[in-house]
Amino acid sequence: MPIPIPAEIGRANQHDVRIRWNDGHESVYLACDLRLACPCATCVEEMTGRKIVNPLSVPANVHPLGISLVGRYAIQIQWSDGHSTGIYTFENLRRLCPCPQCRPAGKAGS
Amino acid sequence: MSPAVTEAVVLQALQKVRDPDLGRDIVSLGFVKDLQVRGANVAFTIELTTPACPVRDKMKEEARQQVATLPGVKQVEVTMTSQVRAMASQRLLPGVKNIVPVASGKGGVGKSTVSANLALALARTGAKVGLMDADVYGPSIPTIMGIREAPRQVGNKILPVEQYGVKVISMGFFIQEDQAVIWRGPMLAKMIEQFLGGVEWGDLDYLVVDLPPGTGDVQLSLCQQIPLTGAVVVSTPQDVAIKVAQKAIMMFQKLNCPVLGMIENMSYYVCPHCAQREEIFSSGGAQRAAERLKIPYLGAIPLATAMRSSSDNGRPIVLSEPDSPLAEAFMRVAENMAAQISIRNMQGQLIQDIQITF
Repeated sequence: MPIPIPAEIGRANQHDVRIRWNDGHESVYLACDLRLACPCATCVEEMTGRKIVNPLSVPANVHPLGISLVGRYAIQIQWSDGHSTGIYTFENLRRLCPCPQCRPAGKAGS
Repeated sequence: MSPAVTEAVVLQALQKVRDPDLGRDIVSLGFVKDLQVRGANVAFTIELTTPACPVRDKMKEEARQQVATLPGVKQVEVTMTSQVRAMASQRLLPGVKNIVPVASGKGGVGKSTVSANLALALARTGAKVGLMDADVYGPSIPTIMGIREAPRQVGNKILPVEQYGVKVISMGFFIQEDQAVIWRGPMLAKMIEQFLGGVEWGDLDYLVVDLPPGTGDVQLSLCQQIPLTGAVVVSTPQDVAIKVAQKAIMMFQKLNCPVLGMIENMSYYVCPHCAQREEIFSSGGAQRAAERLKIPYLGAIPLATAMRSSSDNGRPIVLSEPDSPLAEAFMRVAENMAAQISIRNMQGQLIQDIQITF
């Protein structure tokens, strides 16, 4: 029942985010993918869950300017395109992990 | 001729004394302090993680005996103290060691009465306690705690009202009794922020937060703004209440806020005339639910007229009838809760472990 929580949230490179989880797993998120996965109400339609953010409106070199904790269950990311309303829960971040182990071939991408 | 008593021998003997809650011996837990061996006289201090430790006296006696039976020891002096462990450093309230919301699924389960009595029970053990009434819609803490004065403001901070040794802040201080708070989410979030950051809480071992019932904006704001030590969920024993209480537990689990345990309020009624026990709302429901959900069960509080009248009169039962079985029940629950907090903080899978290096 206890969901994994991050032990460390840092950079994988200049722009991308790396999370080391407390169960040993490691996730590397491409900054742009993470931005497009923003779960906030202006990016995702609340009732249907349909994605409404226009990928073309997000600059390809979008990257986090800062990351802060929300309580003890989530993080908030201040993006370079000015967006910051999304609350990324640990649960959701783990689900988004793009590594081959979490996303076996054929199921890649979200 | 007795062998010389050494510190090492004493520590070895004390390693046999275990803290039943933390599951380790008091030496490796670092509880033993100021050990002094002067010939046949041994003195030491045991520093517990809470003054509300349920096994305080038992542990003291056990430690004394372990050392007293060592060859060469004539006199043993054990001093008990406590140092409440902080849950994690957080920027918003640096002086507050533990923040404990008291929640319920549905209203009317006696959450505010339980919150006030828990705060007073913790304070009675010697802990520094605050009580934040976050029930904006029906703030009843001022009535229950018998507070008539308004909090003062110093600079841009609000000073909590100190009553019966507990620092209190409530929405009730800022509105007229005949006014209603009809607020949307963002305003509730703002109020929570004010009650946390805008109030001069000072140093506290425990800040008990009386939440409104349910799983709404106030709960979410509180969980978002500050890392909480763990929530306590109050329920009455009947099925319909337990079912809703489970939703509150699910909310905290989703927000990664630990659940310290469940309290069963109005558990049973003892007739003052014939002393027969009547289970008005059935009994034991919270305990069974806690077992099923694998969370600790903190204890039962009976239903009693004195409970209601003491709350209405502004002198909660822990204070007005400190030796009554009702007050005893609260002391037990407070001790169990403090023990759960100590366990959490010692084991620590805590927010401070999350490092952000971006």
